[in-house]
Amino acid sequence: MRKIVSRFFTSRCSFLSDSILPFINEILNYSSLSIVGLEKNTGKTECLKYVLKRMPVDSRRIAVTSIGIDGETVDQVTRTQKPEIVLPQGMFFATSEAHYRQRRLVSELVDVSDENTSLGRVVTAKALTSGKVLLSGPPSATGLIRWMSQMRRIGIDLTIVDGALSRLSSASPAVSQSMILATGAAYSANVNTLVQKTAYVVQLINLPLADDSMRSLFGALDKGIWWLDDEGKLNELSSATSLSQHIHFQGMDRCRAIFVAGALVDGFIEKLRANRNLKNVEIVVRDFTRIFVSPQLFRLFIKAGGRISVLQKSKLIAITVNPTSPTGFVLDSGALCEKLSEAVGLPVYDLLKN
Amino acid sequence: MQLKNVIDSPCALRFMLDRLELQSGFARRCLLDMEMLTDASGIGDSYDVLHHFVGFLATTDPVRVSTLLFKLQALKDISTTIKNLEHNATLEDIELFEVKHLAILTVDVKGLLHEQGMDRVVEVPDLNEVIAILDPDGLKIATFYIYDSYCQQLRDLRAKMRQHPELNDQLLLEASEIELEVRADLSKKLQPFAPAIRQALLALAHIDIYLAKAVQMKQMGLCFPVISSDGNSRYEGMFHPQVKDALESRGRRFQPVDISYGLKPTLITGANMGGKTVVLKTLTLCQYLFQFGFGIPARSASIDVKSHIFFCIGDEQSVEKGLSSFAAEMKNIDAVIKASRKERKILALVDEPARTTNPTEGAALVAALLQVLAAADMSLILTTHYDIEPGDARCLRVKGFDNGVMNYSLVEVHDGEVPQEALNIAQALDIDSEWIALARDIVNSNR
Repeated sequence: MRKIVSRFFTSRCSFLSDSILPFINEILNYSSLSIVGLEKNTGKTECLKYVLKRMPVDSRRIAVTSIGIDGETVDQVTRTQKPEIVLPQGMFFATSEAHYRQRRLVSELVDVSDENTSLGRVVTAKALTSGKVLLSGPPSATGLIRWMSQMRRIGIDLTIVDGALSRLSSASPAVSQSMILATGAAYSANVNTLVQKTAYVVQLINLPLADDSMRSLFGALDKGIWWLDDEGKLNELSSATSLSQHIHFQGMDRCRAIFVAGALVDGFIEKLRANRNLKNVEIVVRDFTRIFVSPQLFRLFIKAGGRISVLQKSKLIAITVNPTSPTGFVLDSGALCEKLSEAVGLPVYDLLKN
Repeated sequence: MQLKNVIDSPCALRFMLDRLELQSGFARRCLLDMEMLTDASGIGDSYDVLHHFVGFLATTDPVRVSTLLFKLQALKDISTTIKNLEHNATLEDIELFEVKHLAILTVDVKGLLHEQGMDRVVEVPDLNEVIAILDPDGLKIATFYIYDSYCQQLRDLRAKMRQHPELNDQLLLEASEIELEVRADLSKKLQPFAPAIRQALLALAHIDIYLAKAVQMKQMGLCFPVISSDGNSRYEGMFHPQVKDALESRGRRFQPVDISYGLKPTLITGANMGGKTVVLKTLTLCQYLFQFGFGIPARSASIDVKSHIFFCIGDEQSVEKGLSSFAAEMKNIDAVIKASRKERKILALVDEPARTTNPTEGAALVAALLQVLAAADMSLILTTHYDIEPGDARCLRVKGFDNGVMNYSLVEVHDGEVPQEALNIAQALDIDSEWIALARDIVNSNR
């Protein structure tokens, strides 16, 4: 009897997994994807599992890795249970030497990087059977970019990065071409607040790219604050970060754009707003993860004619929600998806419900 | 003395290394760890090999060369793995992967070099047997796992895993026992090849280094030196690549210099801005490049092998040691004198010694230094503004201002008299005329 029941469940599940959500096909139009959670336990891992399960590993060479401290069996922050990732046979994956030794599948090594992490070097392998693995990939943005280009070199069609949107992580998920955003009750337990907060992040992800000349000019600068005058001349405003109290905007009447290489914070925008001539200046940041500005101030700045653009941007493909918070609180999934979808103009999915 | 110990010498050796297009980080480390060559035969052998590589680049299809360079980018330092193998350890999957990766790379590189016999110029061992051990299916691709072909039982277990994923954990445990045995067996079979694998690792690094040196020779217009056997060194059309680059980027031209020196002291005098310091810098750079087997920045060069090279440039202060510029300089020159009493085959290049002190004592220090070091069997080249009695020293002078243009060439003169051109040069620099006129009056009244 038990056997029959379990078989029944297996077939039901596989029936469900055959109904593929539309964004799965869109992923295949890009060579890289990052899956970003707005908060711990917003269902990022569920989303990753959902995506991995539906990737056409027989026809495409697909590699997955993780940045930050994901892939641990127990969540480091909230101590809730965190499953290992189950990889389908045929998928490539990158993890640290230490976690490679603990893998629970048969796999073939294809690359060993030079980069050392606290868990050893990052190795890439192909799963020859399906099975579980802990993912702990390149710890830095440059390491991630290097890994992605090495994957292209060995013929991988698509790289998938389980990306942490954490201020602690120096690896920005914005290096990938496309992105899926995972949000949920863990981010806020109030539907309206959750929708507003998520819509703000979506607005940041969708910030426009700076023009080509600025991208090549600013792309080479890795620190400081710079401004560009109307003749295209680059000037250093400050070697400090935007956190500094000692930034003055004198003599910048002909300023066309300001590039902030590090984080963009409230104080900087406030000082800028106090300058009548610079109210509608264009601020350029590396990517949306560098913006730490409150939604209110951001809106005021934009309303007054200011603009913010980025050097690097990902195409946001979809948003997923997890209506359950780690404390056990559950939001109404249907209402949440609808409200959020309306606010951001993108399809929103509850993967557990689907 | 390793290259990394002298890389930051003020002669700008680092500039040459920064412009060396090495393909792998491992080759760079090998080069930095290289001991300075102090015997003529070692230097000669090194240049013979470099000659072959220059010829190889000139006669080989560029596509083939770029394939070779691209392959070498994949070279990784696996010496820890080789050490484990030498010590009879059982290698783990990642280590076996590294060995296979290197073996395939070695066979590929050997294949690309074989046609011109270059795999004998740098001895590249044949690692096909190593590949055979790690590639039971003959796939010839640089990936690795404990293949099913190693053991039928393993093949069966894995087939079962694919059919019954729910039994994975139990089956993996069973399989891991077998994998362990296979790894031990593979390691045992590989162990006799450890020396060949180590040789291959170094050979590939050397090929990377020689190719980079050969490319640099062409790019920078460097020459092959002759190894001098009479204690004399001679340069024609010598230039400093970094200074040349800096001048050319400002639309100016570097004037190459001819110079020779032997085993008695050489005294260089000349006007300010006459390039005396650049001459010493370039001579130091050339000597190091020679003893590390690089191309030489000159039209032609014949260089004597030295065992110790000293470059004392006056303006270094040892702040950490709490020494003033004068004290630091005295200590540096003292080291030369001490070495000259023990060793032969020394080259010392001393830039304006004692220039920061008063001219009376300064001139005396320089004259005495010449005498002290003239007694030693060494090469000494010294620049100065002091008017001193040259004794046995050979005197060279920068030609100096010639129709309003600085002529940097060196001419042999028979006294140590220094040219009095400082005021003319200051005038040319458009320095305050009242100051310079007054100085000229004072000079004339002292005559």
